[in-house]
Amino acid sequence: MSATFDPCAWCEEVLQPYLDRHLTERERAEAQTHLDECGYCAKRYRFEENLRQFVQQAASEEMDPELKERLSSLRTPLL
Amino acid sequence: MPFTDPYPAKSGNTPPRPGVLTIDVRKAARVARMGESPDTQARELATEARDRVRFEEEALQLADQVYRVARRLVHSKEEAEDLVQETYARAFRSWRSYTPGTNLRAWMLRILTNLNIDRGRRQQRAPDTTHLEESDYFLYNRLEDDSADDEERLLQRLSQNDIVDALAAVPHDFRDVIVLVDIGDFSYQEAAQILDIPVGTVMSRLHRGRRILKRHLAEATVGGE
Repeated sequence: MSATFDPCAWCEEVLQPYLDRHLTERERAEAQTHLDECGYCAKRYRFEENLRQFVQQAASEEMDPELKERLSSLRTPLL
Repeated sequence: MPFTDPYPAKSGNTPPRPGVLTIDVRKAARVARMGESPDTQARELATEARDRVRFEEEALQLADQVYRVARRLVHSKEEAEDLVQETYARAFRSWRSYTPGTNLRAWMLRILTNLNIDRGRRQQRAPDTTHLEESDYFLYNRLEDDSADDEERLLQRLSQNDIVDALAAVPHDFRDVIVLVDIGDFSYQEAAQILDIPVGTVMSRLHRGRRILKRHLAEATVGGE
């Protein structure tokens, strides 16, 4: 760690693992403490979180019921 | 956790499985349903038929999730449907190599991604993406410039098609990981198993891939005006 620790830079670094729930409990708590007092970082986190949800929703397409029937018909006939 | 794929990538047609008895499924079903001739072999057949039916039911319950991932791994709806159908045909043929109680969703997706690779997709070399990754703030800054403080509204400047196109433009090595983790809700570990790559590689591809995706999205917000 350098002499001048920049909490915002660190917070940005752990943004993605934070959203992926891949931080240790201690790291998560540290990030949370910073987010509670830094409006800029809190906004960055909100933005990235919203973006992920938005991408997931937009990219999710439902399958045709017709395909589901075709898959069912691949089952082994019983009698 | 045992995680075996009966048909790894680059395998040809279904190989004959030595030592596996051919099962009379119809007879097994009669035994299962009506308790016909409960000799030892018949009981085994009945158990096998029951396990098989259970496997098929469980696999079919995952169809929506399997399709959602498949749809974003390939470019057209038709390709996705073919891929899913082929995956289920293969899974139903090789159901015995699935260990009950283990992760069926990941097992299905492993078959699917291997089939996708078998189609020769991996022959292409990954393009150079360094110019796409300049900054993680690119999209944020671009959207931020326009409307001051309402992030919800910022994202409305992107249409569903913008997202789909941007994702499709991400090179496939990176896209596979994004699709599994961010669309399919698979963990890093599951994605690593499915794609047969180390967890560290999943993380670095995810990191770079998301940046590339955001860069494409940022470009879409300009082009769409």
